Amino acid sequence: MLTVALDAVTTAALLFIISSGLLIVFGVMKIINFAHAAFVTVGGYAALVGAWLGLPWLLVLPLAFVVGAVCGALTEAVIVRRLYQRPLDAILATWGLGIVIGQLVTLVFGREVQFVQAPITGTVDLAGIDYSAYRLVMIAAAVLIAVLFTGLLSGTRLGLSTRAVIMNEMLAQGLGVNSARVRLVTFAIGSGLAALSGALITPLSSVDPNMGLPWLISAFMLVMVSGGSLLALAVSCLVLGGCQVIVSTFVNPILGGLTIAILAAIVLRIRPEGFARA
Amino acid sequence: MPDMQQASPATATPIIGGLSPVLSLVAAALLMVGVVVVAPSFLDTYLVNILIRAFFVAIAAITVDIMWGYCGTLTFGQSAFFGIGVYALAITFTEYGFGTWQVLMALGATLAITAVIAALTGWLSFYPGSTPLYASIVSLVVPIVLVQILYSGGTFTGSSSGLVGFETFDLSFEDWFRLAGLSLIAVAVVALIIMRSDTGRLLTALRDNDARCTYLGIDTSRTRIIVLVLTALVASLAGFGYAAFGAVAAPENASFTFGTRLIIMVALGGRGTVVGAIVGALSIEVASAYLSGSLPYVWELIIGLALIAVILAFPDGLVGVFRKLVRGLHGFQTAEATRLRPVAASTVADKTNELAIEVRELGKHFGSLSVLDGVQFKAHRAELLSLVGPNGAGKTTLIRCLSDGRERSTGHVAIAGQPIDHLPPDRIVRFGLGRKFQTASVFETLTVAECLRVARTQHAPPSLTSTSTVLDLPAAAIAVLERSGLAERLSEAARNLSHGLKQALELAMVLALEPEVLLLDEPTAGLTRAERQGFADILTTLVSRDRLCIVLVEHDLDFVREISSRIIVLHQGRIALDGSVDEVVNSALVREIYTGQPSSAVEAGP
Repeated sequence: MLTVALDAVTTAALLFIISSGLLIVFGVMKIINFAHAAFVTVGGYAALVGAWLGLPWLLVLPLAFVVGAVCGALTEAVIVRRLYQRPLDAILATWGLGIVIGQLVTLVFGREVQFVQAPITGTVDLAGIDYSAYRLVMIAAAVLIAVLFTGLLSGTRLGLSTRAVIMNEMLAQGLGVNSARVRLVTFAIGSGLAALSGALITPLSSVDPNMGLPWLISAFMLVMVSGGSLLALAVSCLVLGGCQVIVSTFVNPILGGLTIAILAAIVLRIRPEGFARA
Repeated sequence: MPDMQQASPATATPIIGGLSPVLSLVAAALLMVGVVVVAPSFLDTYLVNILIRAFFVAIAAITVDIMWGYCGTLTFGQSAFFGIGVYALAITFTEYGFGTWQVLMALGATLAITAVIAALTGWLSFYPGSTPLYASIVSLVVPIVLVQILYSGGTFTGSSSGLVGFETFDLSFEDWFRLAGLSLIAVAVVALIIMRSDTGRLLTALRDNDARCTYLGIDTSRTRIIVLVLTALVASLAGFGYAAFGAVAAPENASFTFGTRLIIMVALGGRGTVVGAIVGALSIEVASAYLSGSLPYVWELIIGLALIAVILAFPDGLVGVFRKLVRGLHGFQTAEATRLRPVAASTVADKTNELAIEVRELGKHFGSLSVLDGVQFKAHRAELLSLVGPNGAGKTTLIRCLSDGRERSTGHVAIAGQPIDHLPPDRIVRFGLGRKFQTASVFETLTVAECLRVARTQHAPPSLTSTSTVLDLPAAAIAVLERSGLAERLSEAARNLSHGLKQALELAMVLALEPEVLLLDEPTAGLTRAERQGFADILTTLVSRDRLCIVLVEHDLDFVREISSRIIVLHQGRIALDGSVDEVVNSALVREIYTGQPSSAVEAGP
């Protein structure tokens, strides 16, 4: 029972890590970045390359973030910026970009599934059960991201501008906020977070050109249910991620993988604001 | 969140070589029939084989085009319905063998399962308040769920390797080619006829401006669900044909990768054209067949790059580029002129003092913040009631609470004697309410006449097959059109109109509803003096002659004084004054608000 509870919390942490980048982009731009999965993959391969080079793990993580952020900034400047008036086209173009990145990764690294050794191995003894230490680290990582995020949004000039753009872009522009820059930086941070999450999850899963995809739908639905709020995202990850673990454990894993998508769709149908104003 | 795309080939029907659209469509269809009948004798077997599959895929692509190009819902889910057709056939033939009743059973299962899943998807995707983005994401979930079910189906669904080796129809390649080709032509012709008809214009109106449609009394969610179910049925039949020919069912046939592939086909070929879907589907299917074997990853890479390039540089796709060239050569002829015809107002408007609006104890709260509180008033026919008050007083919120039953937090509202309960706007509009928005809200890519026809949907259901050249409108709407000069510009696209003309068009559209109650939110904002005077004349006529009850939100006190029969002053979410023009205009409170004397009256605007 404790194992299930720990699984639920660590799964929620993983979901939160992966969705947070998507959430910030959705909050500011009101679009879903369909290339998010590709950026997760990029982060996974950054971790792989870092491991080959023998870089310490604490250096690999910022490296993955930077690689993702650069990709994101380029994407914003070249593609997304031109499509703000056509949000559905923007998501389609980012989907095209996802295909391109996936194929480039395949061409460079091949299709094989590869593995990265976890920096922290072994288990921790918790009230009589052994539990993967690395999974527990994920909880700390999720909390750290949430804290940094909140600090960035509420404690910095950029955060203030970002919140202003989220609330009322026209007004923010009128008050001299450079919303184009806010969008660029937001997209870069969102993509950087995607890559960072990719690097973080690699020791738990494997690295392959489509490694980001299985997470994508769950992340999309979690962001839709959260409606742009970080706190709501944390709540949705815990509730829906918990349901996923319960269904996977007691019913069957395939149904478990669909739990978040199906439950989120039903939640949104019955309560269109989702968990945002809970 | 309407998708503000400038791309709108849907409305422009270039007439090539002087033929009417119908004749050129028939001629083109006959030509294609000839090509399809003759072609298999000249093509090599490999290409025939590929084209047969491509024809079935193209049918599915047409359904994506209707959902996305015309209705504005980017759907990743049509592959799921295609897959249902594939698997219904494969499972039936594998389990029960091949025969007449098995074919009928497989067909029945295809249609029944598709209809149920599509209706369920529609229910989850389209409801008042859902966004196009959300509908897209739900459409992505459908094929993913289906594929997971197929994976876990064991030998029944063949799991990840699919189903092969079942007996199916015994036809020659040539016959399959003709069957698939003729099916494609038939679907394309029917789709083109419907999309070019008045019904097609209604779907384009949904894409352009869902909210305006709702306030014209159109149940947009229901319309979208119906379109989804119909297109899903067609896509599932395409999948049925695909599996019947190939005698293979693979999870890829239902996957969202295939769903996105269908979108890419439509984007490359040209959305909102039907023909573009076919061009895109055939070229990508054939090119993949030849290229994906020799350079698998590079081919996918090219498709991804092509998609980005097309969306950035040529949102109208290949067909759009081609059309621009043709138009450059032939010039551009507009469609047939539309004739206006007055109809007698269907509502009886002779009861005096009939209660038009009744509001009791209306409140609107956001958490502890009260935007409206204890608002209570009545308004009668032939009354022009102006709502004034500083910015932030709750005027627009009050208008919203009158026209959408889900907006208010507390209280009772009745329009034309009917309580609005928690009904959505389209139902309230049918009680006799018309609402004009603060900023001109029309259908940008439709012509003036088409906008008005969409507004008449309730009174005259649009034709499925043709475009009418006669437009029946109530006298009040015609008067607005004639006064504003729009009557001479009926075939002009709404997006080319000036701000003032758009305002006039929206008013005419709302009047085309034959409302008893008219809500106008700052209708004269941004208008010239002359246009404003024209508006005043129109409104006073509507009140005196047509006995409408008009509720007007307005900042210009002179304008209000000139035309109102009664004024309500809203202040901090409450009714501060309710009385005749003289009483209100000369009151101390109004002078305080409007002369800007320091007091608590002036709040910051939103």
